[in-house]
Amino acid sequence: MDPREHSILEEQRIYARWLAAGILIGFSSLVASFFIYLFGLMPPGIPPETLPRYWSLPVHEYVALTGAPTGWSWLRRLGESDLLNFAGVAVLGTTTLVCYLRLVPVLAKARARILLFICLAEIVVLAVAASGVAFSTH
Amino acid sequence: MRTRTAQVAWLFASLALFSPEALAAEAGPGAPWWIWPVALFVSCFLLGIIAVPAGVGGGVLFVPIVSGFFPFHLDFVRGAGLLVALSGALAAGPRLLDGGLANLRLALPLALIASTSSILGAVIGLALPASAVQVALGLAILGIVAVMASVRNSEHPHVPQADRLSQALGMHGIFTDGATGSTTPWRVHRTPAALVLFVFIGILAGMFGLGAGWANLPVLNLVMGVPLKVSAGTSSFILTLVDSSAAWIYLNQGAVLPIIAAPSVIGMMLGARIGARVLHRVPAATIRRLVLALLLFAGLRALLKGLGIWT
Repeated sequence: MDPREHSILEEQRIYARWLAAGILIGFSSLVASFFIYLFGLMPPGIPPETLPRYWSLPVHEYVALTGAPTGWSWLRRLGESDLLNFAGVAVLGTTTLVCYLRLVPVLAKARARILLFICLAEIVVLAVAASGVAFSTH
Repeated sequence: MRTRTAQVAWLFASLALFSPEALAAEAGPGAPWWIWPVALFVSCFLLGIIAVPAGVGGGVLFVPIVSGFFPFHLDFVRGAGLLVALSGALAAGPRLLDGGLANLRLALPLALIASTSSILGAVIGLALPASAVQVALGLAILGIVAVMASVRNSEHPHVPQADRLSQALGMHGIFTDGATGSTTPWRVHRTPAALVLFVFIGILAGMFGLGAGWANLPVLNLVMGVPLKVSAGTSSFILTLVDSSAAWIYLNQGAVLPIIAAPSVIGMMLGARIGARVLHRVPAATIRRLVLALLLFAGLRALLKGLGIWT
């Protein structure tokens, strides 16, 4: 087997391990935080019993009426149990980005230049999407 | 006064019939708020069970059904739909990569194109009026039904010659079938056409909050000539990138409500585990017909709701 191919297959296994770890952390966090929210173990930013007034509204009206966070501002309000759920969601959302970052040194070592370029481009795309800086529709 | 048990029994019966009127009557203004997340959890659990044997991801079922029959705004349904599709694809990822069913060389360029365009789709979807998106969603779902009903995938497509682009990108491999032990070398063709198709797939995924497995698979298998099992595994891998990108746009705009997203993700993932276990015990063709009928109904519902005919 071509050593470069072997290296990439090995990278596929590394990617799989990192992916599995990310899912475990993200899903566990989501389940735990949702139960904290559901059973009122911490105070919520928006009490769940008031949500039926808002969940049929478009998102911009919901944000304007409730002061719900946009971008990463939820990080400053992790003491509110509803926003604590975003931690698990964020882990699930960044898992692929972290896995791609892990790919970089191995693709570089394998001298797979085109794949490395694509990998770096994907990291930029995911980072831009996650940053919340661009593409604001408000 | 009804007891909680009776309420839950009524809720289950309502869900079984997918009757929005019955649910609305039960969960009227005085109804407890928790009835909707419970209904969502049960619905997603059931959808998860049928999604696996039907060979579809959860998102394509979730968005039209939940937007059609629950009181949530389409913005929040699409945000949750992307997380549902993302979670399912992520959960399958390690096994597919470890088993060699997902191919990184094949996935990396296609995922880059699709994830970039999914961001554009999400931005367009959040900027358009809900009724326009609802009509477009209805038409898209009816189109998906047509694709799913008519496409016959090929186990080992014939690829006479690999195109230059795929050769440059190293899109080839050797597939070892775990069931038979046989090994088959594969290569791909029509890569430029597939890249263009993945632009549209990404836009649709981002705009409607759908997973795009229904489209990834035929493009990989029938257009590019990738063996069916490698197509299925790689499709799931591509979904993790497409849905991650688009989900961030929804999350950053505030369009992820934990009360909708969390029970949906948890219900769908638990249901999918049951679905994977019963995969060999249920007639897949029957389940597939059931899913097509559900999608047809939900697609018509979305279309009529968007047009203001059935609100």
